[in-house]
Amino acid sequence: MKVTGERAFQAPRATVWEVLNDPSRLAKTMPGVESFDIHDDKRWSAHVKIPLGLGGLRMSIDFEKTDEREPEFAKLHAKGNGVGAIMNMDTSFNLSEAGDGTNMQWEADVHILGPVASMGQRVLQPIVSQQVSHVLAALDAQVREASAAGASSEGV
Amino acid sequence: MTETTVSPERPLVVEEGEEQRGFIGQSVPRKEDKRLVQGEGVFFDDVKRHEMGFVHFARSPYAHARIKSVDVSKALELDGVYGTLTGDEVAILTDPFFELSTPPGANIKDYALAVGKVRHVGDPVAAVVARTRELARDAAELVEVDYEPLPVLLDGEEALKDEVVLHDDAASNTVWSGIFDWGDFDAALAEADHVVRIERLHFDRFSSTPLECSGCLVEYNRGTGQWTIHGTHQMPGVGAIWMAPALRVGIDKLRFVSQDIGGGFGNKITLHPQFTACCLLARKLNRPVQWTEWRTDQHTANTHGNERTFLDVTVPVKADGTMLGFSVRAIDDCGAFPRYEPLGCIIWAQVTPGCYRWRNVRVDFTQVCTNKSPVAPNRGYSRMQHLWLTERIVDIVANELGLDPVEVRKRNYVKQDEFPYETPNGCVYDSGDYARCLDIALELIGYETIEDRRREAESRGKLLGIGIGSTLDSGTNNFGQSMILNPELQFSGNNEVATVKLDIFGEIVVTLGTVPQGQSHETTTAQVVADILGCSPDDVNVRAGHDTYWNSHAGFSGTYASQFAVTGLGAVKGAADKLAGEMKLLASAVFGCSPDDIELAEGHARIKGNPEAALPFMALGAILNANNAGLPPDLDISLNVRYVYRPPFEKPDLERKFGNLTLTYATQIHACVVEVDPETGVYEIVDYAAVDDCGKRIHPQIVEGQVHGATAHALGAATHEIFTYDEEGNLLTPNFYDYHVPHALDMPPMRTGYVESESPFTPLGAKGMGEGGGAGIHAMCAALQNALGRRGEGPIVSRSCNPYHRVWELLQNPSESRKLVTVESR
Repeated sequence: MKVTGERAFQAPRATVWEVLNDPSRLAKTMPGVESFDIHDDKRWSAHVKIPLGLGGLRMSIDFEKTDEREPEFAKLHAKGNGVGAIMNMDTSFNLSEAGDGTNMQWEADVHILGPVASMGQRVLQPIVSQQVSHVLAALDAQVREASAAGASSEGV
Repeated sequence: MTETTVSPERPLVVEEGEEQRGFIGQSVPRKEDKRLVQGEGVFFDDVKRHEMGFVHFARSPYAHARIKSVDVSKALELDGVYGTLTGDEVAILTDPFFELSTPPGANIKDYALAVGKVRHVGDPVAAVVARTRELARDAAELVEVDYEPLPVLLDGEEALKDEVVLHDDAASNTVWSGIFDWGDFDAALAEADHVVRIERLHFDRFSSTPLECSGCLVEYNRGTGQWTIHGTHQMPGVGAIWMAPALRVGIDKLRFVSQDIGGGFGNKITLHPQFTACCLLARKLNRPVQWTEWRTDQHTANTHGNERTFLDVTVPVKADGTMLGFSVRAIDDCGAFPRYEPLGCIIWAQVTPGCYRWRNVRVDFTQVCTNKSPVAPNRGYSRMQHLWLTERIVDIVANELGLDPVEVRKRNYVKQDEFPYETPNGCVYDSGDYARCLDIALELIGYETIEDRRREAESRGKLLGIGIGSTLDSGTNNFGQSMILNPELQFSGNNEVATVKLDIFGEIVVTLGTVPQGQSHETTTAQVVADILGCSPDDVNVRAGHDTYWNSHAGFSGTYASQFAVTGLGAVKGAADKLAGEMKLLASAVFGCSPDDIELAEGHARIKGNPEAALPFMALGAILNANNAGLPPDLDISLNVRYVYRPPFEKPDLERKFGNLTLTYATQIHACVVEVDPETGVYEIVDYAAVDDCGKRIHPQIVEGQVHGATAHALGAATHEIFTYDEEGNLLTPNFYDYHVPHALDMPPMRTGYVESESPFTPLGAKGMGEGGGAGIHAMCAALQNALGRRGEGPIVSRSCNPYHRVWELLQNPSESRKLVTVESR
């Protein structure tokens, strides 16, 4: 299942890049994150509970940054294991300057396997789309927060 | 609504003074019903053992992947988990299962668990045994498998390219391929006035799902090295042929037991991988283990029916509508493993020309593996797909040439006076009257008023269509047909066993080799025995189910291939006849008369014409078993006889692929009337008739039950049931939430009729008849096509299953499907 999109941030490209490459900030954008471990600057893992039917789907996900060209491009592979589901995701983003702000073009190729996958794309697509919109909203908040922190530190 | 056109000829109750005309042909009360209706049936899951463990399989979420590692340590840490089994262990402890094919299929290595690779979603990679079923299921989730995903192959035609190969040992996805060429197709083509070409037809993947899923309870006896398997295998003799060599033991080490089985339909013929895994676990853990298949497991990883694509169908037709034969390229998708395959590559040839007098047939047949669930013989196995082709040919040709589907059938049907009729490939259609069956079906749906009803429906904005499905249920296999696929196989003929004894208190006890799954074997057996021994069916005790220890089975024992009425009851009749002979001998020794003077009637052996000189059966049983001093020393009887029935078969001519592949041919002619909403594609079956000719009907009500059940399976397959996979090989219809099987309320108004054309080849004139539902699929396709457009117009129905959305698509773009058909007129 491929999902793509574009998002504009009212922040400089360097700030957006910093947020997208800071695992601890990224953790705050993830839906239902319960714990988060950073192994090094390219690998981290998380335990999440994705809202899905009764009780939600618990999954442990390993992330690995597989490519990057600071400050414009990065590619990430995520592999998740849960009861009744395996997720493989390759995602990448391109950042370009747009006046004072930053434009992000992103894409993700999500593969769900296991019994959950049998629900089919007609069921999973809306769930993925909903989660993506939550992630982007949270990312926006993180960028604003980083931007504000940057501005205040500049003020000092 | 159900109506029977003709009432049973014989009364159910014989009044005093009225002549008893025998129980064969009467709908006597079923012996099985009391225990089943009262919930006293014993299914494998009712069998429990002290300290038994429950098995759950950890299954692959990938359709195709290399297994890098399997770690069961976390599962084993759970309190209450007794043990596990992995593919690596299986590869050491067993040999691959015997393959029926020649290479490349012969080189496939199939084990009880996935070894090295997984090849479909649900492929079992490990098994966990625990104290409870739920714990085993939870523990199976803790089995950690590291997979390396591989490209997925889901299309039969793509499989032919071998760009992605499932079985490295075979080095090809092709299991078996061959060309069948009978008559002179090129001459027929030259002789034709019209040549109709159909580019593509596709028979969808579905399954006649049984009510009870599969499973077994397995005990291992360490002292004797024998396994006892209480399970749902519907053909254990053949199951043992697969399992014993794999387990490296003799067949005597496998004892199969079953009492009641909740339907099989062929799904339960290829359980040898799961049962073998349970045997290994029972031995490894030294405790009984029970595996109960969940519905999702059954849909995902047990078996489906064969999916088949027909390409380049070419039909030579004379100006008067006579069809001279056909040629076709068939690609059969058997899923990840050819477990009972490639037998499906020849079974269709039992009905090569369908119901028609077609003499020139050329079939280029290839079977391939894909990353889907394996297939197994599914009610109407392989013939259903082929007969759907023959019926689509008839209706598409009729549509394109402006011929009447009824008239064109009658012109091409084998005629009643032509039986026994030899087909171009040497099969012998034993008896039948197809045209008469069709007339009855048409009468039952009110065919004479169909045009009025069409106009009336149009006035309501509906499209009305009528369709006919004519099929043959070929029964009693000649296993020699397997040699046409692989001359090295040493299988031919068929056999079945029954034992009948007269016990000490006069009890008549029968054991069967068959493994009934709801086909009323106890009842019909009792009818046959009662008629021969001169007693009531109530006096005949038929052991329920199957047990290897009864020694009443042979190599091909089981319930499959529409044959119990022939092989099963043939064995029963043979055994009962022998017992009757022994009873007469014993009575003649007691009375000092000739055995020819003795008759068996009303539970007695008596001297003809002298009813006072009569010995009750109890006396006969007691004399031989407990009071035999003084009997003549040369009286060689046991009152306990075993009979093996062997149908009259020859080995086929392998060079010509020619021979009698099956003994009987029951007929089913179905007619269907549908109303379609042209705005939405939603349709309703408004009239339905099923006419069956299975020769002598032993028990009309049971026959009618089979007709209803088979029709329901067919209508499910025609309207809703498809195993749909997404592009990654995930099954999107893994249980009854997404896969709708017809309920009683889904069934249309249905009328049934019958004709009895007795078979000249069988002991009772009867024919097997349980698998004839395919006619419903054909009738539905024809009715939809008829509703959507007639006489060379409107869309072509090219798929076997047509849910509402497919009908809507046909309505939206009729020209697209019309591209599939071309007509060359000379």
